[in-house]
Amino acid sequence: MPNWKIYTPEGVQDILFDECYIKRNIETKMRDLFRRSGYFEIETPILEFFDTFSVDEDSTPQEMMFKFFDQQGRILVLRPDLTIPVARIAASKLKDAKYPLRISYIGNTFRYNESGGGRQNEFTQAGVELIGKETPEADTEIIATAINALKAAGLNDFQIDIGQIEFFKGLMEETGLPEQDVEQMRILIDRKDFIGIEEIVNRCNIPSDLKELILDLPRLFGNIDVIDKVKKVVKGKKALDSLNYLRNILEVLKDYGLGEYVFIDLGMVQSLNYYTGIIFRGFTHGVGFPILSGGRYDNLVEKFGVKLPATGFSIGVNLVMNALERQKADVEKPQIDSLICYEKKGRKTAFEICDQLRKQGLVIEMDITMAGKDYVETYARSLGIGGIIHIIDENLVEIHNLENNEIQQITVSELVGTGGQVPL
Amino acid sequence: MNYINIALPKGRLGDIAVELFESIGVDCTEIKSSSRKLIFTDEKNMVKFFLVKPSDVPTYVEYGAADIGIAGRDTLLEEGRNLYEMLNLKYGACRMVLAGPAALQGELDKMTNKRVATKYPRIAREYFEHRRKESIEIIKLNGSVELAPLVGLSELIVDLVESGRTLKDNNLVIFDTIEDISARLVVNRVSMKMKSEKIRWIIDQLRKNIEVDK
Repeated sequence: MPNWKIYTPEGVQDILFDECYIKRNIETKMRDLFRRSGYFEIETPILEFFDTFSVDEDSTPQEMMFKFFDQQGRILVLRPDLTIPVARIAASKLKDAKYPLRISYIGNTFRYNESGGGRQNEFTQAGVELIGKETPEADTEIIATAINALKAAGLNDFQIDIGQIEFFKGLMEETGLPEQDVEQMRILIDRKDFIGIEEIVNRCNIPSDLKELILDLPRLFGNIDVIDKVKKVVKGKKALDSLNYLRNILEVLKDYGLGEYVFIDLGMVQSLNYYTGIIFRGFTHGVGFPILSGGRYDNLVEKFGVKLPATGFSIGVNLVMNALERQKADVEKPQIDSLICYEKKGRKTAFEICDQLRKQGLVIEMDITMAGKDYVETYARSLGIGGIIHIIDENLVEIHNLENNEIQQITVSELVGTGGQVPL
Repeated sequence: MNYINIALPKGRLGDIAVELFESIGVDCTEIKSSSRKLIFTDEKNMVKFFLVKPSDVPTYVEYGAADIGIAGRDTLLEEGRNLYEMLNLKYGACRMVLAGPAALQGELDKMTNKRVATKYPRIAREYFEHRRKESIEIIKLNGSVELAPLVGLSELIVDLVESGRTLKDNNLVIFDTIEDISARLVVNRVSMKMKSEKIRWIIDQLRKNIEVDK
């Protein structure tokens, strides 16, 4: 039997220093933004009951969930997303909360993806949910928070496409198509499969102006003009209302000063059961998948026992990292500013200086090899450390700038006064 | 300004695709020069081409390594990737069918366990599970699928049929057409948004040319 002890399973990976540093920075910036926007974070278990995630068959198909049994034989899963746990909590532990209820999360989720597809099975999601109110202001706050989170992470060149699932539902009601045809149509429009759409439309008895609009749906994306163009041909109330709602959302986002990031896509029709209003996706260069998705899902919390409207989004943190890397964005990487070594006479001083410099925000490594100056220098150079602070005794310090190779002796008070920047 | 990356399938489908792109003014001389290069560039139009195994086209496009791809509908169905299927190029037309020995005509519903040989296990499984609502045993082959029922490897086959000659010569008949197949132009979901203008232009031009040909 092969021994797998030094390997990791398919679809999961170790994240080491540089990457981990960048990832934590992204998470910290997003967490900070969520907090400042009034979305406080919660943590939910990685293990949950399968039943929790099977309330909505559209969100994660069962074959994509990692499953186990507990001691009583009940089915457990590794959570495939974080929206459903939030809905569960909103309807149970937080059911007496004051609304609107704002919640954020950052955590790892798990899904079986096709092996060899290059997609990870474990990935980090960061997101927020706004529960209890169904105003357009709630939807716009969510979209604005999403945009600000991407900006906070360091992305600049991205766009958010907003659709409105009610528009599609309204059109379909007007056609009177049976449910299975509507679902078939939804799949075809989502794929922008013009050929398939034409086939259904021609097979069914649909008024000709409606027919043309449906055939045109996959092309209806772009800027706000799309809405105005469509409004001229739409007659049904539901479809018209949904267009007005969407237009209003764009107006509000303009006042947020975020108008440049948002576009319309009326052909965005993921999952009719899950989403109940606006729906949006975030795209950027260098990543072939949406880095962000969200929308309104007013039927989800009800499945856990309390009827509450809700809207939210989640960002794929790993995808954002990929995007930053491929766009060659300027990201901060781990770097040791100085390495401190000392003679025995200077030991106490060395610890004091180290403490002070770290308090000033510098990254300081202490020599623990005690292997002598040559060894320390070679080691420091190999790591690209900026300089060596050699504490000779309680007064005297030798500073070795490894970038320009200058060596200088100064006093302890001079050193601490410079904030550790080698004064050469 | 970004390049538009196009994944073309090696072989006949790809050759026709090159002609199509040439007809709308994309410079394909490099690709036709049959050099050993892997990526061919038209600097003027900012287009890059690469040739890949036909069944890999949807993968390149789904991951965004290619913005646009040309693939047969059979490949798209079998790979089941999340893409925009924007244009029917109308060449490479054939059918995906369920076939078997003539003796089984009218007997299909009476067979309790069916073995189906195919190069397209996903298409075969979806057809049986969703349309015929039954479980089957799939036998995945890599070629000469028509042989399977003749030597008792399977009762039925799911395969591409162009003229139907091979089936006829081997006493096999078509029981059902699963899908009409032809070459399609597919687009990555993010590219369609981020490189919208250029991709729309390419598609519109190709569509016009196809309609003129018809």
